[in-house]
Amino acid sequence: MSDISRSINKQDTNAKTSGSIEYISDMKIEGALHARTLRSTMARARITNIEFPEIPTGYYIVDRSDVPGMNRVKIIFDDMPVFAEEEVRHIGEPILLVVGEDRAVIKEIIDGIKVEYEPLVPEFGYVNSVIHYDYEKGDGEKYFKDGSRIITGEYKTGYQEHIYLEPQGIIGIFEDGKSTVIGSMQCPYYIKNAVVQALGIENDKVRIQQAATGGAFGGKEEFPSLIGCQVAVASMKIGRPVRLIYDRVEDIESTTKRHPSLIKFKAAVDEDNNIRAMKVHVSLDSGAYIGLSGVVLQRAMIAASGVYTIDNLSVSGDVFETNTVPNGAFRGFGAPQMFFAIEMFINHVAQELGEDNLEFRSRHLAKQGEATSTGGHFRDPIIMNKMIDKVMEMSDYKTKRKQYSAKDDFRGIGMSWYLHGCGFTGSGEQKHIKAVVRLRKEKDNTVTVLAANTEMGQGAFTTLRKIAAGVLEIPVERVIYNNPDTDLVPDSGPTVASRTIMIVGGLIARAALKLKEQWVDGEEILIEERYKQPDYVEWDDETLTGDAYPAYSWGVNVAEVEVDKATYEVNIRNLWGVYDIGKAIDERIIIGQIEGGLLQGVAYGTIEVMDTKDGRIRQRNVTDYIIPTACDCAPVETVIMDNPFPLGPYGAKGAGELPLVGGAPAVALAIENAIGKKVMKIPATPEYIMELLEND
Amino acid sequence: MVKSFIPGTYEEALELLDKNEMILMAGGTDLMVKKRNWAGLSPLFDKDVLFISELRELKYIRKSGGFIHIGAMTTLEDILVHRETPEILRKAVLLMASPGIRHIATLGGNIGNASPAGDSLPVLYILDAKIVIDGKGTERMVPIEEFILGPGKVYLESREMIKEIVINDVRFDMIHYEKIGGRKSDAISKISFAGGISYKKGRIDEFRCAFGAVAPTVVRSRKLEASVNGLGAEEIKKSYAELIRPIDDQRSTAVYRKKVCMNILDEFLDKAGEYK
Repeated sequence: MSDISRSINKQDTNAKTSGSIEYISDMKIEGALHARTLRSTMARARITNIEFPEIPTGYYIVDRSDVPGMNRVKIIFDDMPVFAEEEVRHIGEPILLVVGEDRAVIKEIIDGIKVEYEPLVPEFGYVNSVIHYDYEKGDGEKYFKDGSRIITGEYKTGYQEHIYLEPQGIIGIFEDGKSTVIGSMQCPYYIKNAVVQALGIENDKVRIQQAATGGAFGGKEEFPSLIGCQVAVASMKIGRPVRLIYDRVEDIESTTKRHPSLIKFKAAVDEDNNIRAMKVHVSLDSGAYIGLSGVVLQRAMIAASGVYTIDNLSVSGDVFETNTVPNGAFRGFGAPQMFFAIEMFINHVAQELGEDNLEFRSRHLAKQGEATSTGGHFRDPIIMNKMIDKVMEMSDYKTKRKQYSAKDDFRGIGMSWYLHGCGFTGSGEQKHIKAVVRLRKEKDNTVTVLAANTEMGQGAFTTLRKIAAGVLEIPVERVIYNNPDTDLVPDSGPTVASRTIMIVGGLIARAALKLKEQWVDGEEILIEERYKQPDYVEWDDETLTGDAYPAYSWGVNVAEVEVDKATYEVNIRNLWGVYDIGKAIDERIIIGQIEGGLLQGVAYGTIEVMDTKDGRIRQRNVTDYIIPTACDCAPVETVIMDNPFPLGPYGAKGAGELPLVGGAPAVALAIENAIGKKVMKIPATPEYIMELLEND
Repeated sequence: MVKSFIPGTYEEALELLDKNEMILMAGGTDLMVKKRNWAGLSPLFDKDVLFISELRELKYIRKSGGFIHIGAMTTLEDILVHRETPEILRKAVLLMASPGIRHIATLGGNIGNASPAGDSLPVLYILDAKIVIDGKGTERMVPIEEFILGPGKVYLESREMIKEIVINDVRFDMIHYEKIGGRKSDAISKISFAGGISYKKGRIDEFRCAFGAVAPTVVRSRKLEASVNGLGAEEIKKSYAELIRPIDDQRSTAVYRKKVCMNILDEFLDKAGEYK
C-alpha cells in the first residue's frame, strides 16, 4: 500500500480555483428577503425607547419579542441574547433586524430608526471577573519562602481578527413547521442546538446545512449560532427565507476575535538554576459576553508551563467581562497567548540567571512519562530533542545566535518550542461531544462518509476520505463526503480543537475496518462508530487535574529577522519549522496548514494590530487591519517527523492549530536577539520596538 | 438618482463637465472605497459621476525640454514601466498599493484624492510638479503645493479637471525614498519620504526633501532647503522637527512618526555627506 501521506488533489480545489463553487452569498433562493442589523452605538446603555419610521408593507422588524423560545444563544455559557434586551453591552450589539425585499428601503428604515439610550458606565479594563479557575500541581508555596531566587514577568497579547476571506453569512428558511438554516460555518450541530433553543421547537424541526465555507479559523465556530438564530426567528415570523450576509466592515466590527490577555509569572529558582515552582495568572478579556471564554481560559491555563516540566505549579485565571465586542474561538484557542508568554518568560529567566537559554530550556524540557502541567502524563514518545536538533541544523541557529548576540547589527534569531493538546480539553469529548460517525456503503460500492465535520479550506473532506479509502483499500474517488446536513449526518462534533483528523478520522478508520470485514459487493451496508475515551484518560473537571488531552502535537520554530534601525520595521528573513503531528494524512495539505498557520502566528506577533477606543474597534476594514501579503512571507522550510500515535488514524494527531502557536514567540525572541531588549507584548510593532530602544 | 457619464473624448468630457456639476471618477480605487455602500446597492454618490479614466488623450508620458509631462489618466503601472519616469517617482510608485490597483489607479487620481498619505505626492513636491488644470475655455497651471489645500481638498473649480502633471526632469546625484506602511505592500503609509541632492564642486547645489503622512499636506520647505549649505545636520533636523506635526491614528502614533521622520532625515543627511 502506498504511503497515506502522499498528496492527492484536494476535493474542493477545482471548484474553488475555477470560481464555480457556490458560497452562501451566491445562493439564489426564491422569495428570499434581505436582512440588515440595527446595532448599538453605545458601549453600555439602557434602551429607553425605540422610535420607528413608517414601515412599508412587506418590510419587517424582527427583535427579541419575536423569539419564540429562549432569547439566548446556546454557546456553552448561554449569556448572549439573540437580540438585545433592555441593556446593550457593546458597540455593535445587534438590537433588531430590518427585513424586506429592497435593500435601499431596508437601509432607509434602519437610518430612520431612533434608539434612545440612557448611558451606563462601561468597563474596558480587567476589572469584572466572571469566571475564575485555578489548579495546583505539587506544592510550590515553600519555594517562594525559602530564599529561592524569585523571578517575575508580565506579558500582554492583543486582539487578533480572523479575516476569513468570506465574511459571515447565513440564510434561514421556514417551511411546513420546519426551520432550515444554511450558511458558512464550522459546527452545524452547534447551530442546530442554538436554533432549537431559540425557537423552542422540537429537535427534528431544525435542519442545518453547511454551505461552502470560505475560511473560518475559529471565527465560524460559535458566531454563526447567533446569526443562525436570528434568521431562524426572522424566517419563522415572516414565512419567507431571510438572508443575512455581512459586509467586511460589519464583520470586523461585530464578530468575535482572539481574546487579548495579560499573563503574569512568578518563578522560584533554586541554587542549581532550576525552576522549582511557578505561579501563573492569566487574565482574558472576554468582551461583553462570556460565550466560550471559559474554555479558552482553560486551554491557556493548561499551557502555563509550555513544553517544560515544572514540578510545582500554581495556576489561576480569570475571564473579565468588558463592554467591547465579544471574543471567541480562534485557531489555538488560548494557547497562542500562553505560548508567547511562557516562551518569553523561560528565556527571560535564563537571561536573568546569566544562563545559556538553550541549555536552560533543554534542562526543563518535558520527557516521556513525566507529569503534565495538570498532573496527567506524557504517555507517548516525545521526540522534541530530535526536532530541536533538526531545526537548529536547518537554520544554523547556534552560529547565528552567537553572531547576532555579539554584534550590534540589528539581526536576530529566535526559537520557540510548543505543543498543542489535540481534541477537547479534559473529558469534553466523552461528556459533551459524544461523537458519532457513520459509513454507508451504497449498492454501487461507493462509500459515503456521514459526519458533521466541515470543509473550510483546511482539507478535511480530502483527508477524511483518504482515511476511509485507505482502510477500505478502495480508490479515494469511491469515497464521498458532502457538505454536512444535520438531517443526513450524525453529530460527529464540531470542526474545532484540532480534533477532526484524530478523533473523527479515528472513528472513520474504525468504521472502515468494520465495513471492510462486512463488505459484500452490491449491497447497502451502514456502519456506526461512537467515541470512546481512551481508558487511560483521567480528568477531574472540578480541580482541573489529570490528562487534559489524550495526545499532544509538538512543534519547534526558528525565525530570523532584521530590524531596521531607522524605521524599527521587522523584516522576517527566514522561517523554519519541525513538527510532530503523529503522521501526515496528506503532506501537501499539511504543508499548507503549517505555512498558513505559521504566517498567521508570525503576523499575530508583529503586524496584526487591533485596539479599541471608548469601546469601539479602531481598525475596521482590511486597509487598517493589516494581515500579511505575499510580499510579507519569508521563505519557510518545513520538516514533518513521524511519531505515530497509536489511537490516531494511521498514527495521526491534530495539526490545525499547532502551527499558529509557535509563530509569535519565535519572531518575538528573534526581535529580542536583534535589538537586545526584552519584548513583553505582542504585536511587537515598530512603534513598540522604538519605545523599547528609546527607553534605555 | 445620480447619472453616470462616460465621455468618448476629452473634448466631450470638458463639455459635460461644463454643463453639470459632477464627481470625477478616475481609477476609482480610493473613491469607490470612500463611497462604498451595502453590497448590492449603488455606491453612495450624491452627484452625477463623470468617468474619465479611459480618456486616451490623458494617457501619456512625454519628455519636452527639461520637463516631463504626464497625462492625468496615466496609470501607475504605465508610469512604473515608462523609460522617461524619473527614478524616484518609479520607486514611489512601485511601493504603492498592489499590482491590480496600480493597473487602474492614475496619477491624476492620486493627486485629486489629496490624501495626506498619498504616496506620489512627496515625490511630486520635490520634483516641483505643476498641475495643469483644464476647463472649457480655461486652462491654468499651479504648483502642486498650491493645488493641494488639505486632506481631500484641492484647488479645483467645479468645471475643471486635472489635465496633466508637469515635472521638472531634475537628475539628482543622490535620491532617497522611504515608505513606511504596516506591511511590505498594499499598505497605507504611516510615513513617506522623498529626497534628492545634487552637488556642484563638492558642495550641495540642490537639496530637496519632503515628508508625507505626517501633516495635513506634504511637508516641504524651500526656505530650509535653500539654507542647508550653511547649516549643520543637527540644525537642519531641528528646523524640520518644527515642521513635522504628525497625529495618532489607527495606523500609528505621533511619537513614532516624528521619531522615524528624524531618523530618515538623519540617514538622508548621512548619505548626502558620503556623496560629497
